[in-house]
Amino acid sequence: MKKLIEIKGLSKSFDDNLVLKSIDLYIRENEFITLLGPSGCGKTTLLRVLAGFEVADEGTVLFDGAYLDDTPPHQRQINTVFQKYALFPHLNVYHNIAFGLKLKKLPKDEIDRLVKEVLKLVKLEGFEHRNIKTLSGGQQQRVAIARAVVNKPKLLLLDEPLAALDLKLRQDMQYELKEMQQALGITFVFVTHDQEEALTMSDTVVVMRDGEILQIGTPEDIYNEPKTRFVASFIGESNIIPGTMLRDYRVKFEGLEFDCVDKGFNLNEAIEVVLRPEDIELKPATDGIVGTVTDIIFKGVHYEIIVDVKGKEYIIHSTDAQRVGDKVSLVFEKEDIHVMRL
Amino acid sequence: MNSVRRLVWPYLIWLGLLIVVPSVFIVLATISTFHIFNEYSFKFTTESLQFLRDPIFINAFRNSWKYAGMTTLICFFIGYPVAYYFARSENRNKTLYVALLIVPIWSNMIVRIIAWENIFKPVSIINLFGLSFDLIGRDSAIIIAMVSMYLPFMIFPIYAVLDKMDTALIEASRDLGASATQSFFKVTLPLSLGGIVSGVIMTLLPAMTAFALPERIGGGTIILLGNLIEKEIFRGSFSIAATVSFVVMIVMLGLFMLIIRFDKEGETLL
Repeated sequence: MKKLIEIKGLSKSFDDNLVLKSIDLYIRENEFITLLGPSGCGKTTLLRVLAGFEVADEGTVLFDGAYLDDTPPHQRQINTVFQKYALFPHLNVYHNIAFGLKLKKLPKDEIDRLVKEVLKLVKLEGFEHRNIKTLSGGQQQRVAIARAVVNKPKLLLLDEPLAALDLKLRQDMQYELKEMQQALGITFVFVTHDQEEALTMSDTVVVMRDGEILQIGTPEDIYNEPKTRFVASFIGESNIIPGTMLRDYRVKFEGLEFDCVDKGFNLNEAIEVVLRPEDIELKPATDGIVGTVTDIIFKGVHYEIIVDVKGKEYIIHSTDAQRVGDKVSLVFEKEDIHVMRL
Repeated sequence: MNSVRRLVWPYLIWLGLLIVVPSVFIVLATISTFHIFNEYSFKFTTESLQFLRDPIFINAFRNSWKYAGMTTLICFFIGYPVAYYFARSENRNKTLYVALLIVPIWSNMIVRIIAWENIFKPVSIINLFGLSFDLIGRDSAIIIAMVSMYLPFMIFPIYAVLDKMDTALIEASRDLGASATQSFFKVTLPLSLGGIVSGVIMTLLPAMTAFALPERIGGGTIILLGNLIEKEIFRGSFSIAATVSFVVMIVMLGLFMLIIRFDKEGETLL
């Protein structure tokens, strides 16, 4: 698919603080891409450079093949859904949504039609004359989305738009946003620190830390094959165990040797192994990795079980309960062993 | 709450004795022959209201609006950009700017008026700099002095709303296709309307009722409502002084209602 945005060597610092370190990234047309990372990782700054609110110190951004760097925000075919919505409190729902259309000097009946259409899309039919202050958080969120997408931008930027909503509403909105993106055919760049959001909605996830991109991939790639310890621990819970790659498809950790699916390492290279909590099964102690159950917490769908293996704690998610003090063996398939370079 | 209510009594007594009771006297004196030194001949009359048609009153009323109006207008055009600049500057500088505004207000207004009076006289300290003015009794002198007195009262309420305004709103406006100028007129200005109304009224009201300033800088020739009230009291025409005061009270109340309408949360009233 065609590249809509190309970011090349983008750097940005505030005072002495380097928040973006030579970022290279491209975004394809109609892609739902998520910038994921902890606060301070530079994801919001990157978004603001795309919107035109920040000017990069170095590097360039190509939009549809043309340089975007000197284009002021109001002349970009890009719209933003702001973190706290930034709805205009002096305007009602209709005039908030019509703000961009009026600036384009569209005829009144055209504006009426487009506003009606987009209100239907965000499920707020009949809300035209409502005051912004009388809307709930979820409704304000929808108005903010409507106000942006009504302008039919080529690129929609979303800056943690779901952060202020409660859990249930957030989950509903995740599906709706994904559906909307597919229906509208607009490229979405979504910024979040919530890994679940990122995995649920995205075509592509970009994991960032300290102004650098650590890994780019599909949600499955990022989850199943984290390249670094940080990605593994940031995306879901994981057990990270130091080990040695003996040769291709053979790994050693916890003093034992296992078959695995990874290759391409040096002989006896020191590595780290990721075992996801839900990939480990507990059996009555026989051989393999053996430990003692030290804690069990009911989490609703599953139990979180803590097993002590020679002083190291493993987290295991299982639908079967265990008794504290029981001796257990940790059992897993070779596909569940994810090997990371140090 | 009940224990706190008792602590409010001193203020309520003060309010009653010094504000409510005198106000009742003013109203009574306006519509009757009531006179504190002549309480025996009490009867209702609208005689003193005739004064509202007197050229002396009309002149003072017009002067008050003229000087206060021009002062307010000038304060707005000087004050809005200043308030905007202060509100958009870095936080550590804001404290300094606010101090620059407040500290001059702390020095007594009469002292500042006398300072201006001296500057506007032909022989003054500024002769040292090779300058000399002869402006006492001129419109320009009154307006310059009034602007310097009341400018902070214009800047503060506007600064207060602009400071609280979420800058993301401007970004949203730019994002939706408005240029910086369009964003100002479509977002910033309408959202600061409450502050503007408060600033206008907080400048207009004290300027209209100014008394010492026109007295000193007007050289006794420029009469505003405040000066008229004083003159009438010294002439012993209490009911006429009361009538003029009554008019001032009505104007004040009217303008106050206007603030309340535009600023329901009271965020701009300091």
